[in-house]
Amino acid sequence: MKRDENVEGAFRIDGLNLHYGATHALKDVSVEIARNRVTALIGPSGCGKSTFLRTLNRMNDLIPNCRVEGSVYYRENDIYAPGTDVIDLRRRIGMVFQKPNPFPMSVFDNVAYGPRCQGIKDKKTLEDIVMRALRDAALYDEVKDRLRESALSLSGGQQQRLCIARAIAMSPDVILMDEPTSALDPIATAKIEELIVGLRKDYTIVIVTHNMQQAARISDFTAFFLSGELVEYDATDTIFSHPSNPKTEGYITGRFG
Amino acid sequence: MNSRIRFDEELENLKLELIKMGDTVMQNIDAGLRSFLTMDVELAERIVKADKIVNAFEQTIEKECLRIILKEQPVAKDLRLITAVLKMITDLERIGDHAADISKMAIFMEKTKKPYGIPEMKPMTEAATEMIRTALASFINHDVALAERIHDDDDVVDDYFESVKKTVAAAIRGGTIDADYAIYAMMVAKYLERIGDHAVNIGEWVVFSITGEHKHNLIF
Repeated sequence: MKRDENVEGAFRIDGLNLHYGATHALKDVSVEIARNRVTALIGPSGCGKSTFLRTLNRMNDLIPNCRVEGSVYYRENDIYAPGTDVIDLRRRIGMVFQKPNPFPMSVFDNVAYGPRCQGIKDKKTLEDIVMRALRDAALYDEVKDRLRESALSLSGGQQQRLCIARAIAMSPDVILMDEPTSALDPIATAKIEELIVGLRKDYTIVIVTHNMQQAARISDFTAFFLSGELVEYDATDTIFSHPSNPKTEGYITGRFG
Repeated sequence: MNSRIRFDEELENLKLELIKMGDTVMQNIDAGLRSFLTMDVELAERIVKADKIVNAFEQTIEKECLRIILKEQPVAKDLRLITAVLKMITDLERIGDHAADISKMAIFMEKTKKPYGIPEMKPMTEAATEMIRTALASFINHDVALAERIHDDDDVVDDYFESVKKTVAAAIRGGTIDADYAIYAMMVAKYLERIGDHAVNIGEWVVFSITGEHKHNLIF
């Protein structure tokens, strides 16, 4: 891939191998992920793309028998080095999951949850953080009169944007998204996609998606994984017009996978 | 394992329809010129009507391309192929119009009936038709080199045009050609020359369908 000198790196991954017990889930992955850009991870089920996503904020640490070798540098710090503050790491690198998972509390409290855990108690400060996060997540206008209502009363698409707002409230640098629209209808999906494109100016976004058109629409870079290997990584326009590897071409044109 | 067998069949069918359209167009050029050289008005009228078949091909293929884009959401080489077909049928349709135009010259000449033998006319027609055949063959065989050759083949057709012009001019100067016939013959030659240009366009879209480059610019 031709390196764009104007794009700063957020992550540098070197020789990453990951095992779940006897399963070799990621095989010698090396890649740089650009800062303030949207990077899409694509590939068939079980290819390792979600596993890779979860290595970026050490979510795999929670899985028993998971062994990681190699390095993941985030802003020149190896996040797997001993002494890494994993809690702080996950604050800076937030995550949004496939199924919206708001806490069973009010809309306001969902977004305020993280900042409160960080010790912010001042009412005005909390309000400012929540309003800004809701606005950034393109949800404010829809929920401004329902801030004290249960988050569970929101629609699926609104719940997912609430989860994005909840991530944003922690002032992260990076937002990882694992199939964030796969449970949503097309209108809700379109809103999330618009949101992602808007967020990239302030955040680095890495998104796992099974929707190839979604990757083509919203991402700047695309990584194609197959059987735990990173087969190809390039500008999204290149991947979807002139992929270098026949396996990538086979997958994006729907011939296999 | 290929999991898009039906899609591949649709693409193959699209290519087949394009070839059928091309065959019809080439037959019309050949018969069109024959109708002009032999002053066969009946044949000429048949060819003018036959252009409707070419137009129908264009519409059918166009619809099929749009239907495939809608249903299959093609990317990469598949999208290039469908886009190239959409562009090529426009050129083939224009070529079909010119075949009909040549026939119309025979109909206009009906009352004059004073033909003048222009030896270059037949080989010029063959050269222009061959360019179309080459373009379609390069498309089916994914042959970039063959498609790029069409540009050079066009020089041959252009040379024929110059040659026809000289022959007709000499005949006018010598007073041996009917004035109306001279004008109509030059129009036929111009239509043939335009057919060559459209064949060059088709060749350029063949190159695009394989490489993504159109006239040396990477467009997809």
